[in-house]
This record gives sequence, structure tokens and C-alpha cells, in this order.
Amino acid sequence: MAMAKRTRKAKTTTKASRTRHPKTAGVHSGGCLCGAIRFTARGKPNHIGNCHCTQCRKATGAAFATFAGFESKDVTFGKGKPRYFRSSAWAARGFCPQCGTSLVYKLIEDSSKIWLAVGAMDKPERLAPKMHIFTTTMVKWLKFRDGLPRYKAFPAS
Amino acid sequence: MPKTKRRTAARKKAASFTGGCLCGAVRFRARGAPMYVSHCHCTMCRVASGAPVVTFAGFPSARVRFTKGKPKFYRSSKIARRALCGNCGSQLYFQFDRHPERMGMNVGCFDHPETLKPQRHIFTNTMIPWLKMKDGLPRELRGE
Repeated sequence: MAMAKRTRKAKTTTKASRTRHPKTAGVHSGGCLCGAIRFTARGKPNHIGNCHCTQCRKATGAAFATFAGFESKDVTFGKGKPRYFRSSAWAARGFCPQCGTSLVYKLIEDSSKIWLAVGAMDKPERLAPKMHIFTTTMVKWLKFRDGLPRYKAFPAS
Repeated sequence: MPKTKRRTAARKKAASFTGGCLCGAVRFRARGAPMYVSHCHCTMCRVASGAPVVTFAGFPSARVRFTKGKPKFYRSSKIARRALCGNCGSQLYFQFDRHPERMGMNVGCFDHPETLKPQRHIFTNTMIPWLKMKDGLPRELRGE
């Protein structure tokens, strides 16, 4: 998930999620497969997207990854801490060193935001994605018919 | 044998699929055609990866070679273990204890995942409702 200027975007997404996806509000808990790491995110995610970039793919081992963005201050690690791997010049990825679950994507220069892996959530059905991003590298056999907008990168606005 | 069929057979024989983890510490090569390619919707695969669905390509263990580094193992249940990269956490493969002769490679770790086309969905009883994959592939409530 490469970053573009997204100051205005964050505001509009929050508004949209409030009206269209009331279920996404509240407390979202999750953790890794072995249970060494547990986290809680409060409030509404400011972004939920299916990411088709090659890095998300390799990090998870899946054909694509779904991340939900929260304000860092709303996310707490109640048990354990992820280990971070510097996956690019601008970002780091957190995972469980014991079982390998992909948990976090965060930017080096903006620590106010954090993205959590939706597959690691206890109730992923509550965090429905709103878009597909980095679709130029989407695996060809993935056929979605979800009507979600598709972006070649992280949408600027 | 018709010409096209023969050509496909030859290509399958020569097929070689390379891949590795995100940081590059672990690299592997799988030779020949995969035994199966499936989307797994079970909750364990989902949490292990952090992704909503995980796609696996089954290969005979004898045809998979680790060309760089060695994976770390996590015993995810009484019947199976999962291989990952200890440095970056990428999920690499899944293996049943009673079937050491085959391994389910994580398709997302391959350099060209588009060459490993899935044939079915398994454990669709725990499929996330918002995942609208309209690919016409058969769906099985459980796996094998």
C-alpha cells in the first residue's frame, strides 16, 4: 500500500462508513493464530480495502490482503507485541514471530495511522472492504463481483 | 496425440514455479503441475495469514526444493503444521502430519501466482459473507 496525500480522503471515508456501514462501529478485537498477540481497535475504521499489491500478497501468502485503517491512538495491544519487518522505504509490517500471522501495516513517517489485517480479526464479517487497491497487480483469476471501486494505487481523494 | 495436447503436456512437464517470502530469506522451487489449487476459507488459514481467504497449491514434497534459507515451523493443530519465514512472517506452506509426501504451498508467495489457477473453494461454511467471488468454481462445505 503505497501512500499518496490522503488528508481529505480520511474525512470523507469516515462519513461514508458511518452512513452505509453502521456495523463497522464499536470495538474490533483480533489476534494471531497462536494467541501470543491480541489487539483491540476502537471506533470506526477510516479505510478498509482489499490490497492486491505484490508485497501484501507475499506477506500474507494469500492472493490478496484486506486491511482496515484506524487511528493509532484507538488501537491497543492487550497481549504481546508484533515484530516489525521494514518491508519498504516508507512502511513496516508487523507479524507474530511465533506463528507468522500478518497483523499490521504502518507508515514510517506517519505514526498516527495503523492498518490491521482483517483476516486476523475475530469478526472479519464486520469489516467489509470498500474498495480494491493496486489492481494493476491483481491476480488474473480473482473474479470479484462485489461492485466495489477499483484503484490502481491508494486513492488520493 | 493432437499437436496442441502434446504441446500442453510438454509445457506441464517443464513447468517450474518459483517463489519465496517477502524479505527474500527463504526461496523455493516447485516442479511439475500442481496436484490441486484451492481457495481455503477455514478460520485457521484466515487467521494464520491475516487475509480473508488463502489459496493453496498442492505439490508432492519430492518436487519442492528450498533453494535459499529454511522455513520456521508452527504447529497449528494436532494434525498439521505451517511453515513461515522467521524474519518477515510470510506463510509458506501447510502440511498434514499424516501426509508428509505432499505440501500445500501458499500461492501468494509464488513469483507468478497467476500461473496457479484455483479449481475450487473449500470450507465455504466459514467464508466471509462480503467476499463475493463469482468465479463459477465448485464449493465444498469442508475440505478433504
